[in-house]
Amino acid sequence: MILLCGIPSESPLTMVAQQLDAEGTDYRILNQRKVSDYSISWQIEGGTVDGTLSLGPEIFSLGSIDAAYLRLMDDRLLPELRQEPEESPVRRHARAFHEALYRWLEIAPGRIVNRSDPQGSNGSKPYQAQLILQYGLRIPETLITNDPERVLAFQREHGTIIYKSISGVRSIVKALDEEDIARLDDIRWCPVQFQALVPGADVRVHVVGQEVFPTEIVSDRVDYRYARRNGGSAELRATKLAPDVAQQCIALTQGLGLAFAGIDLKITPDGEIFCFEVNPCPAFSFYEANTDQPIANAVARYLCNAL
Amino acid sequence: MAAVWATDRLRARGLPVEVLTGADLAAASRWEHRVGRAGTAFELDLADGRRISGTNLSGVLNRLYFLPSAWVQSVGGTDKDYAIQEMYAFFLSWLHSLPGPLLNPPAPQGLCGNWRHPSSWAFLACQAGLPVRTYRQSSEDDPAALWQSPAEPAQATIFVAGNEVIIPSPLPSRLSEPCRALAHAAGTPLLGIDFASDATDEWCFRGASVMPDLIRGGEPLIDAMAEVLTA
Repeated sequence: MILLCGIPSESPLTMVAQQLDAEGTDYRILNQRKVSDYSISWQIEGGTVDGTLSLGPEIFSLGSIDAAYLRLMDDRLLPELRQEPEESPVRRHARAFHEALYRWLEIAPGRIVNRSDPQGSNGSKPYQAQLILQYGLRIPETLITNDPERVLAFQREHGTIIYKSISGVRSIVKALDEEDIARLDDIRWCPVQFQALVPGADVRVHVVGQEVFPTEIVSDRVDYRYARRNGGSAELRATKLAPDVAQQCIALTQGLGLAFAGIDLKITPDGEIFCFEVNPCPAFSFYEANTDQPIANAVARYLCNAL
Repeated sequence: MAAVWATDRLRARGLPVEVLTGADLAAASRWEHRVGRAGTAFELDLADGRRISGTNLSGVLNRLYFLPSAWVQSVGGTDKDYAIQEMYAFFLSWLHSLPGPLLNPPAPQGLCGNWRHPSSWAFLACQAGLPVRTYRQSSEDDPAALWQSPAEPAQATIFVAGNEVIIPSPLPSRLSEPCRALAHAAGTPLLGIDFASDATDEWCFRGASVMPDLIRGGEPLIDAMAEVLTA
């Protein structure tokens, strides 16, 4: 059986469920919004992990779950808990259920797309960049410092530079302009990440197992993700990668311990390829909706191959 | 305390040891860390005038499991959580970039190695071939309680440092290979593995730490660490 975890109306989960429906596959949705009706219990005994999962009236052996696709949101932010006091029994149950679920998913046999630990590299962009380098992909020249003089020297060295968060929080990219330079002294209290601007076409590559789905994005903004919101444009179209680059993307995904990833590349006018980031929980629906690339189908097939 | 003791014992073996405390890191005046085509670089200017860079380090005993508390306490305001996330991401990257052996390398889940949940350690210990008591967890359990260490110290601790396994009496030597396998699977060249004896007098895995009490490992542990750090 396949387990889909998250909010059923969320687009990626909906699209994978539709594909499983089309295949007539046996699956269940663990709807976080119904957490009050759920329970889980499991054990590690003699090296074997097993237990039971109750989704309302249905009770399953965890051993019967061959694969899972996770789009779990932070349970503390569930709409159903909004009115609940911090330490209410409902909140405590939700926390305990999710904690037990997460811990089981980390060690469960079967295909888990994706486990939590391997997603951790995305929490530090320069750390992940060092891992990316091991797979033969270039990364943008990066400086992290709290020294304004070094930033100005870096700018003289590379021309236009951008800055963005080091962690996965508030991950918005912005070019360093005169206004920013005027307040550069502010970085002294906490180092900031700067990168040489890489010109060229953005390509998001979704990797599912051994399959790759590259999407080219043409935008008039530095950060295409927010282009439409900021009055700019972003056009998406399916594209192709050179076979060696596709293999590098697959190897990188596997090497990070992921089954499914969204890799952000930039291809310069002279054909150089830079890798910016590997997203371990990609919201692929935006790309599929704009290109008809069958990413949800690939995720569904990947899960089904575990049956 | 353990780091101070380890510093003294490593110096006694003739190793040149530079100590960087959390307070030193919190008060650092300049940070510079580069990642790019030429590889990685790291440079740190301390308030006392010392300059630490990746080029003058040959090995690191890393006892940072989180950001220095002095730095965390110095941050306030509405951006505090964001600043902590940023600084943690920065520390993870520069620690990872350090050349030479690292005891232990940082991980996203802990700056001196993956600070695993007890369930994860129990599973890895089983996989490594150690005797492990049945581990149970359910949606009835308080998640915070599961993280709490037992109040009393472990009955016995085996230390792994590189390829060396230090087994105190009366633990049996047959635990050596599974302990080495556990440290390898965990990606932590330095690991303390706690054991307790059960009703049948069999020694069972009780837990593991990526930041063990080095003093309990004694001189044999320092010998093994010195070998790793100078390799």
